[in-house]
Amino acid sequence: MKIVSCFMEEKEIAPLIEAGADELYTSVPGLPSFDETYLRGITIENAFKKIHALGKKALVAANSSQIVLDTRGLKKLADRLRALDAAGADAFIISSPSLLSLLRSSPRRLRADLHLSSVQPCFNTAALRFFLRFGIRRLILPTQLPALEAAEVLKFCRREGVETEIFDYRFFGCNYVNGRCNIHLPRFHTFKKGAKGGALCRCGGPRQALPVKPLGVNPERAGEVPAIARRLALRMGGGGAPRFYNAASFFDFFTLGVGWLKYGVRADPPAVKARKVGQLRAMADLAGALIKERGQRAARPLFIERMTAWRGA
Amino acid sequence: MSGALETGLRLAERGRAALDGAGTLEKALRRFRWFYAGAEFCENLLPDAAWHEREVSFFLEKGASVCVLTPPLGEKGLKRLRPVFKRLASVFGRDPRAAGRVEVTVNDFGALELAAETGLKLPLSAGRLLYENMFFADRTKMAVINGEAVRLFRSLGVSRFEFSTTGRLLSNNFSEAAKYGFKPSDIALTLHYPYLNLTTARACAVGLPDIGPEDSVRGVACRRECQACSFEAGHPLVNEKLLVRGNTVFLKFPEKFYSDPATLLKRRINRLVYSPFL
Repeated sequence: MKIVSCFMEEKEIAPLIEAGADELYTSVPGLPSFDETYLRGITIENAFKKIHALGKKALVAANSSQIVLDTRGLKKLADRLRALDAAGADAFIISSPSLLSLLRSSPRRLRADLHLSSVQPCFNTAALRFFLRFGIRRLILPTQLPALEAAEVLKFCRREGVETEIFDYRFFGCNYVNGRCNIHLPRFHTFKKGAKGGALCRCGGPRQALPVKPLGVNPERAGEVPAIARRLALRMGGGGAPRFYNAASFFDFFTLGVGWLKYGVRADPPAVKARKVGQLRAMADLAGALIKERGQRAARPLFIERMTAWRGA
Repeated sequence: MSGALETGLRLAERGRAALDGAGTLEKALRRFRWFYAGAEFCENLLPDAAWHEREVSFFLEKGASVCVLTPPLGEKGLKRLRPVFKRLASVFGRDPRAAGRVEVTVNDFGALELAAETGLKLPLSAGRLLYENMFFADRTKMAVINGEAVRLFRSLGVSRFEFSTTGRLLSNNFSEAAKYGFKPSDIALTLHYPYLNLTTARACAVGLPDIGPEDSVRGVACRRECQACSFEAGHPLVNEKLLVRGNTVFLKFPEKFYSDPATLLKRRINRLVYSPFL
């Protein structure tokens, strides 16, 4: 399993590669990105050169699904992608079907690969078939698809020669279908003074039971309501829906042959990024070593035990 | 936009059973033209093919029109939806009564693919979990993102889009359609009120048991706890009350959201669906 990491500054490149990253990705102004933080202190062209000189691949995220552009703006965007393609981008991470459609209809095909971002959730093989028509070469699995449920999607990818990628369960945020989550940002609701987004839908949250009031109780199931209310109160105070990703799911993804493990907290400081990428490498190596040493079945509980004891990067 | 404003009632996965009670069904049939039946947000609530056939037949016989709601899909949901689409295609595909009166809403690109694969020729709408691939929306506006999105959805047989708002009168970019490379006449909108779906999970906050580090789940072991009740939740960071129904968190928008049908039609909203918090 290889590691792909975000980077936002020139000084992060070498330490991330040293920590174990096999690919680096970033986002740049002019390319609409889901997470609106952008590369600083170095041009993307020079970043490509530096990454390639270190023998690694350079990816660019243009993964906003809502690219609001008029015809001229859309043409500019396509031109910008082509320029980055010519400058050495190895892949673009994309979520917008309209951008994929635009690129497909262009007479000049990109040299770079296209990766389907997890913010355009692909949970089934029919959706996968839909996106493969646009030339997707890697599927970044949404964190709301558990490993064992993803087995058919992964099998389909193997058959079609499509690479697969997951997020590290320890360093990822939204508990909902994050590409469609409208509590990330207060676009519809409003925050109290000083509050910022995230705590409602990300692991963390205030971590306290919140008041919940049952509505429209079905008399036939009224006996279940207090227990459901207690569960929901705790979850709403801890980031919302429960998370499928954990040590066990990572192990299962690993044994199902997922090729890439992603670290994507773009806002982390450089030293934290490098430390966390080291932790990704260590976790993948641990799974590999335990399987080699003990066999898959015996390795699984040992791996889960070791990772459950893990206490932060 | 020419024509009258159509009205609809969302019955969700309960279908016409939600209208049980003295005179409720008759009153609804008099008041609404469209009935929205089926699972919109959760594949675990997806009824079988026979249920869908019964619901559609029932409303057609009563002279009403029906929109079949379908949810986001995992592999399990895809397997459940395939016979539904096949049945709808075979029973209603050539039924003259169904012409213009039966539609299907999809909330997953896999469902669009499945519709093509099963020969489902009924009109398709992009549901409340897909419309953001076509529009940017917030409290004040709803803009078509770009002309390519319109072309793509049209090529997939989709020209109707379903959405909810916070209740304000929305501005849009239809007056700049030429600049964006689309024709407003290529778009029709369905507005669900008075709740806006803020976010949806596959791991249900209401029903899924806790997942320990040793548990690698195969999916949601659903006991339909969402059918026991819904919840109002206060959050210390948020001004509005949040409403939780199964795997989806909603926001209520009690403000009056339009002044008259003409205002909606001008914004290409020609169907207004009352979607109570079922």
